[in-house]
Amino acid sequence: MTRTTKLTVSTLLGLLISLPASSAQTAAQSASTVRLGYFPNLTHAPALVGLERGTFQKALGKVKLDARQFVSGTTLTEAFAAGQIDIAYVGPGPAINAAGRGMPVQFLAGASEAGAVLVARKDSGIKSYRDLGGKSVAVPSLGNTQDISLRHILNENDLKSRTDGGTVTITPIAPADVLAAFAARRVDATLVPEPWGAALEAQGHKVIGTEKTVWRDGKYPTTVLIVNTKFAQANPALVTAFLKAHADTVAFINRSPAAAQTAVNAQLLKLTGEKLDPRVLQRAFARTRFTTALDPAALREYAALNVEAGYARSAPDLTPFLRK
Amino acid sequence: MTTANRSTDLSPTSGQPSRWRVLSWQVAGLLIILGLWWLVTDVLKVYPPYVFPGPKAVWTEVSYGLWGTGPQDGKLLGAIGGSLRRVLTGYLLAVLLGGVVGLLMGAWLPLRATLGAYLTGIQSVPSIAFVPFAILFFGLNEQAVLFVVILEGFIPVALAVSGALLNVPPALRVAGRTLGARGLGLTLRVLLPASVPNVLTGLRTAWSFAWRALVGGELLIAGVKSLGEQLEIGRNTANVALVLATIIIIGVIGGLFDTLLRAAEARVRRTYGLEVQS
Repeated sequence: MTRTTKLTVSTLLGLLISLPASSAQTAAQSASTVRLGYFPNLTHAPALVGLERGTFQKALGKVKLDARQFVSGTTLTEAFAAGQIDIAYVGPGPAINAAGRGMPVQFLAGASEAGAVLVARKDSGIKSYRDLGGKSVAVPSLGNTQDISLRHILNENDLKSRTDGGTVTITPIAPADVLAAFAARRVDATLVPEPWGAALEAQGHKVIGTEKTVWRDGKYPTTVLIVNTKFAQANPALVTAFLKAHADTVAFINRSPAAAQTAVNAQLLKLTGEKLDPRVLQRAFARTRFTTALDPAALREYAALNVEAGYARSAPDLTPFLRK
Repeated sequence: MTTANRSTDLSPTSGQPSRWRVLSWQVAGLLIILGLWWLVTDVLKVYPPYVFPGPKAVWTEVSYGLWGTGPQDGKLLGAIGGSLRRVLTGYLLAVLLGGVVGLLMGAWLPLRATLGAYLTGIQSVPSIAFVPFAILFFGLNEQAVLFVVILEGFIPVALAVSGALLNVPPALRVAGRTLGARGLGLTLRVLLPASVPNVLTGLRTAWSFAWRALVGGELLIAGVKSLGEQLEIGRNTANVALVLATIIIIGVIGGLFDTLLRAAEARVRRTYGLEVQS
C-alpha cells in the first residue's frame, strides 16, 4: 500500500466508524433540560413574557430551561434538525418546511396571529402594493413566513420577483437591520414582523399593508409553538407543563397588555441592548393578536402558499404533525 | 510544475497508463462513491434524510432544477445562467485589468515594488472577507458581487503577467533589441509573446479564484438568479438535497472550465517547446 492509499483507507474507515456516533442523538429518555428557541420579535411575545416572568421555569420545576435566541427561522430549523432544540416559537413557514422534509416536528399550539406589516421607505414613492414593481423589498429571510406572504401579495397584484422573471427584488435582511438599510436607501420596502414595523413607522416610513391586508383578513398564524416529536414522546409531562405555562402567558398578555409590554421591553433590552419607545410597542401590540388556538385550515393554506412561492413542490399533509 | 507533469502522465506514448484506463478508473471511482453514499443514506439510514439525503433525492433536485417543466422547475438552469454570465463578465474584466496592471508592473520597478507586494498580501485575504465592504460600498446588488470577482480574478493575472515579463530569457530581450525593437514595441512584440505560457497559468488560477469568489458573494447577496441563491434557498427551506445538488453543479462547472483552461495551457506549452513528448 502506498502512503496515499493508506491515508485514504484509514480516513474512510474513520468516517464510517464515526457515523453512527454523530447521528441524531436527540431527546434522551427523560430530559434534565428543556432547550427552547425563539426570536426577539413582538410576534414571539409569549416567549419573551414567559421568560421575563419566569413562568416557564416555574412550570418545569427541577428541569432546567435553556432558552436560546435565534435571528431567523433558518438557523432555528437547522438547530432543530441537528437536535439542539426541543421546543421552539417559530413562524409557520419554516415549521411547515421542516414537516415537509420529514423532520420530527409536532405543532403544539398557536402563539400569535397577524402582526406583520408592509412598510415602504418614506421617499420610495410606494403608496400601494402595485407600486412595488421595480422596487426592492426586504424580508427577514428567504423562505420564511413573511417572504411567503410577500410572494403571495406580489402574485395577487400581477407582480413577480426578479428571480421568477419579474421586476421586484426580494432581499433577505434581518428585521433589526432594516432601519439601517432604509437609512442607507438600500431597500425600498419591507414586510416585517412587529415591533419592527411600528419602529419604522415611528421614523416616518409608511405602512402600506396592514396586518389585515397582508393575508386572510389578518386571520393567519405568525408564530406557532412546535416541539421535537421524539422529545414529546419521551417527555409528555414536560410538554404538558410547558403548554400550560404558554397558555397562562398568552392569557396574561391578553389580560394585562401594559404589563406584558413592559415585560417584552425588558427582554428586548436584555437580548438586543435596545429598548423600544413604549408608544411604538403599544402600536405594534395593537396589530398583533395572541392566542393559543391554531387553525389547521390556515396552516394548510400556508402550505399551499409555500408551494406557490416555489419553496416546495407539494404541500405536505400536516395532519400527522398536529398535536391530538 | 505539477500541472505540466499531469498532462504528460496521461499521454499514451510515455509508457504511462493509457487515457482509457485512467478514464475507466475515474468512472469506477465515481460509482464506488455513489454506492457508498447510497449505502450510508438509503440502505443503512445512518442519517435522517433532512440531515444527509441520499443520491436519489439529490438527483431529483438536479433533474427538476435542470430540465423540469413544472411552473417552479428549471430554477437551477436559470441560476447557472445567471452565475455564468456574472463570472464571465467579472473574469473578462479581471483579465483586462490584470493584464494592464501586470504590464505596467513588469515595465516599471517602483510600481512592482509597491503594488506588487500589496497584491500578494491582498491575495491572501479570503474573498468572502471583502463581501461586507463591497455591500456597504455598492449596496446589496450585482455590482458588489462583480467587485469581489474582479478583485479576486485580477490579482493572479497581474502577478502572472509581471512575473512572466521579468522571466523572459535575456537572450530574447537582447535579440529583440538587436533587431530594432524598443520600449513598448519590445514589450508587445517580443516580451509578451514569450510570456504567454506563464500568463496562461495565471489565467487558470484567476478562473478558480473568480469562481470561488462569485459563489461566496452570491450567497450573501440574494435577489438575483444565482447558484449562491439556490444554496441559500435550500438552506432556508430545509432542503438539503437542493444544497447538495447545487454544490455538485458548482463543482462540475468549476472543474469543466479548469479542464478547458488546462488543455489550452498544455497545448500552448507544447507549442512553445516547454512540454517534451517522448
